[in-house]
Amino acid sequence: MNPTQPPFANARQTWAVCFDDPLPYLETQALQERLLAARIADVIPDTLLLLEHRPVVTLGRRGRDHYLLQDQETLRCAGVDVVTSTRGGDVTFHGPGQCVVYPIVSVNDLATGSAGYLSMLEDWAIATLNAYNVHAFRRDGMAGAWTDKGKAAAIGFRLKRWVSYHGMSLNVDLDLSGFDPIVGCGLEGEKVSSLKQHLGKDCPTVADVQETMLSIFEALNQREIDRFSPDQVPNELGALL
Amino acid sequence: MNVPENLKYTKSHEWILVDDNQVTVGITDFAQEQLGDLTFVELPAVGDSVNASDEIAVVESVKAASDVYAPVSGSIAAVNEELESSPELINSDAFGAGWIFKIDLGDPAELGTLLGAAEYQALAPSGD
Repeated sequence: MNPTQPPFANARQTWAVCFDDPLPYLETQALQERLLAARIADVIPDTLLLLEHRPVVTLGRRGRDHYLLQDQETLRCAGVDVVTSTRGGDVTFHGPGQCVVYPIVSVNDLATGSAGYLSMLEDWAIATLNAYNVHAFRRDGMAGAWTDKGKAAAIGFRLKRWVSYHGMSLNVDLDLSGFDPIVGCGLEGEKVSSLKQHLGKDCPTVADVQETMLSIFEALNQREIDRFSPDQVPNELGALL
Repeated sequence: MNVPENLKYTKSHEWILVDDNQVTVGITDFAQEQLGDLTFVELPAVGDSVNASDEIAVVESVKAASDVYAPVSGSIAAVNEELESSPELINSDAFGAGWIFKIDLGDPAELGTLLGAAEYQALAPSGD
Protein backbone atom coordinates (compact mmCIF):
# COMPACT_ATOMS: atom_id res chain seq x y z
CA MET A 1 0.00 0.00 0.00
CA ASN A 2 1.23 3.47 -0.88
CA PRO A 3 2.04 5.12 2.47
CA THR A 4 0.81 8.52 1.26
CA GLN A 5 -2.61 7.06 0.43
CA PRO A 6 -5.29 7.89 3.02
CA PRO A 7 -6.34 4.74 4.94
CA PHE A 8 -9.74 4.26 3.31
CA ALA A 9 -9.05 5.52 -0.22
CA ASN A 10 -9.52 2.22 -2.02
CA ALA A 11 -11.10 0.05 0.63
CA ARG A 12 -14.46 -1.58 0.11
CA GLN A 13 -14.74 -1.70 3.87
CA THR A 14 -18.17 -0.57 5.06
CA TRP A 15 -19.38 0.44 8.48
CA ALA A 16 -22.94 0.74 9.75
CA VAL A 17 -24.30 2.37 12.89
CA CYS A 18 -27.83 1.50 14.04
CA PHE A 19 -29.50 3.96 16.43
CA ASP A 20 -32.25 2.89 18.85
CA ASP A 21 -33.99 6.11 19.81
CA PRO A 22 -35.74 8.42 17.32
CA LEU A 23 -33.40 11.31 16.41
CA PRO A 24 -34.18 14.96 15.59
CA TYR A 25 -33.87 15.71 11.88
CA LEU A 26 -31.57 18.72 11.73
CA GLU A 27 -29.05 17.31 14.20
CA THR A 28 -28.92 14.14 12.12
CA GLN A 29 -28.43 16.19 8.96
CA ALA A 30 -25.48 17.96 10.66
CA LEU A 31 -24.10 14.55 11.65
CA GLN A 32 -24.39 13.37 8.05
CA GLU A 33 -22.54 16.47 6.86
CA ARG A 34 -19.68 15.72 9.28
CA LEU A 35 -19.49 12.13 8.03
CA LEU A 36 -19.69 13.33 4.41
CA ALA A 37 -16.67 15.61 4.89
CA ALA A 38 -14.79 12.78 6.59
CA ARG A 39 -15.70 10.32 3.81
CA ILE A 40 -14.61 12.79 1.09
CA ALA A 41 -11.30 13.17 2.95
CA ASP A 42 -11.04 9.35 3.26
CA VAL A 43 -10.87 9.61 7.05
CA ILE A 44 -13.68 7.02 7.31
CA PRO A 45 -14.80 4.24 4.95
CA ASP A 46 -18.29 4.03 3.44
CA THR A 47 -20.68 4.32 6.39
CA LEU A 48 -24.41 3.65 6.67
CA LEU A 49 -26.57 5.27 9.33
CA LEU A 50 -29.82 3.46 10.19
CA LEU A 51 -32.25 5.27 12.43
CA GLU A 52 -35.74 6.60 13.10
CA HIS A 53 -36.70 10.27 13.23
CA ARG A 54 -38.95 12.18 15.57
CA PRO A 55 -42.07 13.35 13.67
CA VAL A 56 -40.99 15.81 10.97
CA VAL A 57 -42.11 17.01 7.55
CA THR A 58 -39.13 17.76 5.31
CA LEU A 59 -38.98 19.72 2.09
CA GLY A 60 -36.26 19.05 -0.51
CA ARG A 61 -33.64 21.72 -1.18
CA ARG A 62 -35.87 23.43 -3.71
CA GLY A 63 -38.75 22.90 -1.26
CA ARG A 64 -42.11 23.45 -2.83
CA ASP A 65 -44.39 24.10 0.10
CA HIS A 66 -47.58 24.07 -1.99
CA TYR A 67 -47.45 20.34 -1.30
CA LEU A 68 -47.99 21.20 2.38
CA LEU A 69 -51.73 21.05 3.00
CA GLN A 70 -51.61 22.54 6.53
CA ASP A 71 -49.72 25.61 7.62
CA GLN A 72 -46.47 25.04 9.42
CA GLU A 73 -47.75 26.52 12.69
CA THR A 74 -50.65 24.03 12.85
CA LEU A 75 -48.21 21.17 12.25
CA ARG A 76 -45.79 22.42 14.91
CA CYS A 77 -48.64 22.66 17.43
CA ALA A 78 -49.36 19.00 16.68
CA GLY A 79 -45.73 18.14 17.52
CA VAL A 80 -44.56 17.81 13.91
CA ASP A 81 -41.50 19.82 12.94
CA VAL A 82 -41.23 21.29 9.41
CA VAL A 83 -37.73 21.72 7.98
CA THR A 84 -36.02 22.34 4.64
CA SER A 85 -33.48 19.62 3.96
CA THR A 86 -30.35 19.72 1.78
CA ARG A 87 -31.45 16.56 -0.05
CA GLY A 88 -32.97 16.36 -3.51
CA GLY A 89 -36.56 15.27 -3.97
CA ASP A 90 -39.85 16.68 -2.76
CA VAL A 91 -41.79 16.82 0.52
CA THR A 92 -42.00 13.78 2.80
CA PHE A 93 -42.80 12.74 6.36
CA HIS A 94 -40.59 10.90 8.86
CA GLY A 95 -41.59 9.55 12.25
CA PRO A 96 -41.05 6.70 14.69
CA GLY A 97 -41.74 3.30 13.11
CA GLN A 98 -39.95 4.20 9.88
CA CYS A 99 -36.56 2.70 8.97
CA VAL A 100 -34.42 5.57 7.63
CA VAL A 101 -31.12 4.72 5.91
CA TYR A 102 -28.45 7.31 5.16
CA PRO A 103 -25.61 5.78 3.13
CA ILE A 104 -22.49 8.00 3.21
CA VAL A 105 -20.84 6.07 0.38
CA SER A 106 -18.53 6.69 -2.53
CA VAL A 107 -20.93 6.07 -5.41
CA ASN A 108 -18.01 5.43 -7.80
CA ASP A 109 -16.96 2.35 -5.86
CA LEU A 110 -20.32 0.59 -5.69
CA ALA A 111 -20.82 -2.38 -7.97
CA THR A 112 -23.96 -0.85 -9.49
CA GLY A 113 -22.41 -0.01 -12.86
CA SER A 114 -24.45 1.99 -15.30
CA ALA A 115 -27.77 1.11 -13.65
CA GLY A 116 -26.86 3.73 -11.09
CA TYR A 117 -27.18 4.60 -7.45
CA LEU A 118 -30.86 5.56 -7.61
CA SER A 119 -31.64 2.17 -9.09
CA MET A 120 -29.62 0.42 -6.35
CA LEU A 121 -31.68 2.22 -3.67
CA GLU A 122 -34.89 1.02 -5.33
CA ASP A 123 -33.58 -2.55 -5.57
CA TRP A 124 -32.62 -2.38 -1.90
CA ALA A 125 -36.08 -1.29 -0.76
CA ILE A 126 -37.91 -3.73 -3.03
CA ALA A 127 -35.78 -6.67 -1.86
CA THR A 128 -36.37 -5.66 1.77
CA LEU A 129 -40.15 -5.66 1.34
CA ASN A 130 -39.97 -8.94 -0.58
CA ALA A 131 -37.99 -10.45 2.31
CA TYR A 132 -41.15 -10.04 4.41
CA ASN A 133 -43.29 -11.53 1.63
CA VAL A 134 -44.71 -8.16 0.64
CA HIS A 135 -44.77 -7.88 -3.14
CA ALA A 136 -43.04 -4.64 -4.14
CA PHE A 137 -42.22 -3.12 -7.50
CA ARG A 138 -41.02 -0.05 -9.42
CA ARG A 139 -43.33 2.40 -11.15
CA ASP A 140 -42.10 4.32 -14.18
CA GLY A 141 -41.25 7.93 -13.43
CA MET A 142 -42.13 7.53 -9.72
CA ALA A 143 -38.94 6.42 -7.98
CA GLY A 144 -39.35 4.45 -4.77
CA ALA A 145 -40.71 1.04 -3.79
CA TRP A 146 -44.40 0.51 -4.42
CA THR A 147 -46.87 -2.10 -3.19
CA ASP A 148 -50.49 -2.69 -4.20
CA LYS A 149 -51.52 -0.56 -1.20
CA GLY A 150 -49.24 2.39 -2.03
CA LYS A 151 -45.65 3.57 -1.75
CA ALA A 152 -43.73 1.94 1.11
CA ALA A 153 -40.28 3.47 0.57
CA ALA A 154 -39.32 7.01 -0.47
CA ILE A 155 -35.98 8.21 -1.85
CA GLY A 156 -34.22 11.59 -1.70
CA PHE A 157 -30.44 11.97 -1.77
CA ARG A 158 -27.60 14.34 -2.48
CA LEU A 159 -24.13 13.81 -3.91
CA LYS A 160 -21.05 15.89 -3.04
CA ARG A 161 -17.77 14.95 -4.74
CA TRP A 162 -19.67 11.75 -5.68
CA VAL A 163 -20.19 10.74 -2.09
CA SER A 164 -23.86 10.25 -1.20
CA TYR A 165 -25.74 11.50 1.81
CA HIS A 166 -29.43 11.50 2.76
CA GLY A 167 -31.04 8.40 1.22
CA MET A 168 -34.21 6.48 1.80
CA SER A 169 -36.99 5.80 4.29
CA LEU A 170 -39.01 2.58 4.49
CA ASN A 171 -42.29 2.52 6.40
CA VAL A 172 -42.43 -0.29 8.97
CA ASP A 173 -45.17 0.41 11.53
CA LEU A 174 -45.22 4.17 11.12
CA ASP A 175 -48.48 6.04 11.83
CA LEU A 176 -49.41 6.75 8.19
CA SER A 177 -51.68 9.66 9.17
CA GLY A 178 -48.42 11.63 9.39
CA PHE A 179 -48.59 11.83 5.58
CA ASP A 180 -52.11 13.36 5.62
CA PRO A 181 -50.93 16.99 5.74
CA ILE A 182 -48.68 16.61 2.69
CA VAL A 183 -48.76 15.49 -0.93
CA GLY A 184 -45.94 12.96 -0.48
CA CYS A 185 -43.16 13.48 -3.04
CA GLY A 186 -45.55 15.83 -4.86
CA LEU A 187 -47.50 12.87 -6.25
CA GLU A 188 -51.16 13.82 -6.02
CA GLY A 189 -53.69 11.06 -5.35
CA GLU A 190 -51.05 8.42 -4.56
CA LYS A 191 -51.28 6.44 -1.30
CA VAL A 192 -48.53 5.52 1.13
CA SER A 193 -48.25 2.11 2.74
CA SER A 194 -46.19 0.28 5.36
CA LEU A 195 -45.15 -3.23 6.29
CA LYS A 196 -47.69 -3.06 9.13
CA GLN A 197 -50.51 -2.39 6.69
CA HIS A 198 -49.60 -5.60 4.84
CA LEU A 199 -48.56 -7.83 7.73
CA GLY A 200 -50.69 -6.71 10.69
CA LYS A 201 -49.57 -8.35 13.92
CA ASP A 202 -46.76 -10.16 12.08
CA CYS A 203 -45.05 -6.84 11.31
CA PRO A 204 -41.32 -6.93 12.21
CA THR A 205 -39.66 -4.36 14.48
CA VAL A 206 -37.60 -1.49 13.04
CA ALA A 207 -34.47 -3.14 14.50
CA ASP A 208 -35.30 -6.34 12.60
CA VAL A 209 -35.80 -4.37 9.37
CA GLN A 210 -32.49 -2.54 9.93
CA GLU A 211 -30.66 -5.89 10.05
CA THR A 212 -32.53 -7.16 6.98
CA MET A 213 -31.56 -4.01 5.10
CA LEU A 214 -27.90 -4.42 6.04
CA SER A 215 -27.87 -8.04 4.81
CA ILE A 216 -29.50 -7.04 1.53
CA PHE A 217 -27.06 -4.15 1.04
CA GLU A 218 -24.22 -6.65 1.48
CA ALA A 219 -25.67 -8.96 -1.16
CA LEU A 220 -26.47 -6.19 -3.66
CA ASN A 221 -23.07 -4.54 -3.36
CA GLN A 222 -20.94 -7.63 -2.74
CA ARG A 223 -19.43 -6.44 0.53
CA GLU A 224 -19.47 -7.17 4.21
CA ILE A 225 -20.57 -4.55 6.69
CA ASP A 226 -19.07 -4.03 10.16
CA ARG A 227 -22.02 -3.23 12.44
CA PHE A 228 -21.74 -0.89 15.42
CA SER A 229 -24.02 0.52 18.08
CA PRO A 230 -23.58 4.28 18.67
CA ASP A 231 -21.69 3.78 21.95
CA GLN A 232 -19.17 1.30 20.48
CA VAL A 233 -17.99 2.87 17.24
CA PRO A 234 -14.38 3.03 15.97
CA ASN A 235 -12.45 6.12 17.09
CA GLU A 236 -12.64 7.77 13.65
CA LEU A 237 -16.45 7.74 13.91
CA GLY A 238 -16.64 8.43 17.63
CA ALA A 239 -15.02 11.81 17.02
CA LEU A 240 -17.88 12.71 14.65
CA LEU A 241 -21.00 11.39 16.39
CA MET B 1 -20.96 2.74 -21.16
CA ASN B 2 -20.82 5.51 -23.73
CA VAL B 3 -17.48 7.40 -23.47
CA PRO B 4 -16.71 9.38 -26.65
CA GLU B 5 -13.03 9.19 -27.64
CA ASN B 6 -12.68 12.82 -28.68
CA LEU B 7 -13.46 14.25 -25.22
CA LYS B 8 -11.46 14.74 -22.02
CA TYR B 9 -12.86 13.77 -18.59
CA THR B 10 -12.58 14.37 -14.84
CA LYS B 11 -12.86 11.93 -11.95
CA SER B 12 -16.01 13.80 -10.91
CA HIS B 13 -17.70 12.75 -14.19
CA GLU B 14 -17.54 15.96 -16.21
CA TRP B 15 -16.69 15.73 -19.93
CA ILE B 16 -14.68 18.46 -21.65
CA LEU B 17 -14.56 19.37 -25.34
CA VAL B 18 -11.44 21.44 -26.05
CA ASP B 19 -11.63 24.05 -28.81
CA ASP B 20 -8.51 26.25 -28.78
CA ASN B 21 -8.77 28.42 -25.68
CA GLN B 22 -12.34 27.50 -24.82
CA VAL B 23 -13.78 24.33 -23.34
CA THR B 24 -17.37 23.07 -23.37
CA VAL B 25 -18.37 21.08 -20.27
CA GLY B 26 -21.17 18.68 -19.43
CA ILE B 27 -21.71 15.60 -17.24
CA THR B 28 -21.17 12.07 -18.52
CA ASP B 29 -23.71 9.37 -19.20
CA PHE B 30 -22.52 7.62 -16.05
CA ALA B 31 -23.26 10.76 -14.02
CA GLN B 32 -26.79 11.31 -15.36
CA GLU B 33 -27.60 7.62 -14.80
CA GLN B 34 -26.84 7.93 -11.08
CA LEU B 35 -29.42 10.66 -10.65
CA GLY B 36 -32.40 9.64 -12.77
CA ASP B 37 -34.63 12.05 -14.73
CA LEU B 38 -33.28 15.58 -14.34
CA THR B 39 -35.74 18.31 -13.42
CA PHE B 40 -33.60 21.36 -12.70
CA VAL B 41 -30.17 22.79 -13.47
CA GLU B 42 -28.63 25.64 -11.50
CA LEU B 43 -26.27 27.38 -13.94
CA PRO B 44 -23.29 29.66 -13.22
CA ALA B 45 -23.37 33.28 -14.44
CA VAL B 46 -21.59 34.27 -17.63
CA GLY B 47 -18.46 36.25 -16.75
CA ASP B 48 -17.90 34.51 -13.38
CA SER B 49 -14.31 33.55 -12.79
CA VAL B 50 -13.85 30.00 -11.57
CA ASN B 51 -11.04 27.86 -10.21
CA ALA B 52 -10.50 24.24 -11.16
CA SER B 53 -12.65 21.93 -8.99
CA ASP B 54 -14.94 24.73 -7.72
CA GLU B 55 -18.61 23.73 -7.38
CA ILE B 56 -20.23 25.91 -10.05
CA ALA B 57 -23.50 24.25 -11.03
CA VAL B 58 -26.07 21.87 -9.54
CA VAL B 59 -28.07 19.26 -11.39
CA GLU B 60 -31.22 18.06 -9.69
CA SER B 61 -33.47 15.10 -10.53
CA VAL B 62 -36.81 14.02 -9.12
CA LYS B 63 -34.96 12.32 -6.25
CA ALA B 64 -31.42 13.65 -6.11
CA ALA B 65 -29.10 16.61 -6.39
CA SER B 66 -25.43 16.69 -7.34
CA ASP B 67 -22.82 19.36 -7.84
CA VAL B 68 -20.98 19.99 -11.09
CA TYR B 69 -17.34 21.08 -10.81
CA ALA B 70 -15.22 23.39 -12.95
CA PRO B 71 -12.67 21.11 -14.65
CA VAL B 72 -10.30 24.01 -15.32
CA SER B 73 -9.82 27.62 -14.20
CA GLY B 74 -10.97 30.56 -16.28
CA SER B 75 -14.11 32.57 -16.87
CA ILE B 76 -17.58 31.40 -17.81
CA ALA B 77 -18.02 32.24 -21.48
CA ALA B 78 -21.51 30.79 -22.01
CA VAL B 79 -24.17 28.69 -20.31
CA ASN B 80 -26.74 26.40 -21.92
CA GLU B 81 -29.94 28.34 -21.23
CA GLU B 82 -32.01 25.65 -22.95
CA LEU B 83 -31.46 23.52 -19.84
CA GLU B 84 -33.61 25.94 -17.81
CA SER B 85 -36.71 24.76 -19.65
CA SER B 86 -35.42 21.35 -20.81
CA PRO B 87 -33.09 19.84 -18.18
CA GLU B 88 -33.92 16.39 -19.58
CA LEU B 89 -31.56 17.15 -22.51
CA ILE B 90 -28.80 15.98 -20.14
CA ASN B 91 -30.48 12.56 -19.88
CA SER B 92 -31.23 12.22 -23.58
CA ASP B 93 -28.01 13.70 -25.03
CA ALA B 94 -25.44 14.07 -22.24
CA PHE B 95 -22.50 14.60 -24.61
CA GLY B 96 -24.27 16.93 -27.06
CA ALA B 97 -27.35 19.10 -26.51
CA GLY B 98 -26.95 18.53 -22.75
CA TRP B 99 -23.76 20.62 -22.48
CA ILE B 100 -23.87 22.87 -19.40
CA PHE B 101 -21.29 25.70 -19.66
CA LYS B 102 -18.24 26.95 -21.58
CA ILE B 103 -15.08 28.27 -19.96
CA ASP B 104 -12.45 30.57 -21.51
CA LEU B 105 -9.24 28.96 -20.29
CA GLY B 106 -7.19 30.80 -17.69
CA ASP B 107 -4.24 28.40 -17.85
CA PRO B 108 -4.03 26.05 -20.86
CA ALA B 109 -1.48 23.92 -18.96
CA GLU B 110 -4.38 22.67 -16.77
CA LEU B 111 -5.68 20.68 -19.75
CA GLY B 112 -2.84 18.26 -19.03
CA THR B 113 -4.54 17.25 -15.75
CA LEU B 114 -7.67 15.96 -17.53
CA LEU B 115 -8.26 12.28 -18.24
CA GLY B 116 -8.43 10.66 -21.66
CA ALA B 117 -11.41 8.45 -22.59
CA ALA B 118 -9.56 5.21 -21.77
CA GLU B 119 -8.34 6.50 -18.40
CA TYR B 120 -11.84 7.68 -17.50
CA GLN B 121 -13.44 4.41 -18.54
CA ALA B 122 -10.93 2.52 -16.38
CA LEU B 123 -12.00 4.56 -13.33
CA ALA B 124 -15.75 4.19 -13.70
CA PRO B 125 -17.46 1.14 -12.18
CA SER B 126 -17.78 -1.72 -14.64
CA GLY B 127 -20.90 -3.40 -13.27
CA ASP B 128 -22.58 -3.47 -16.69
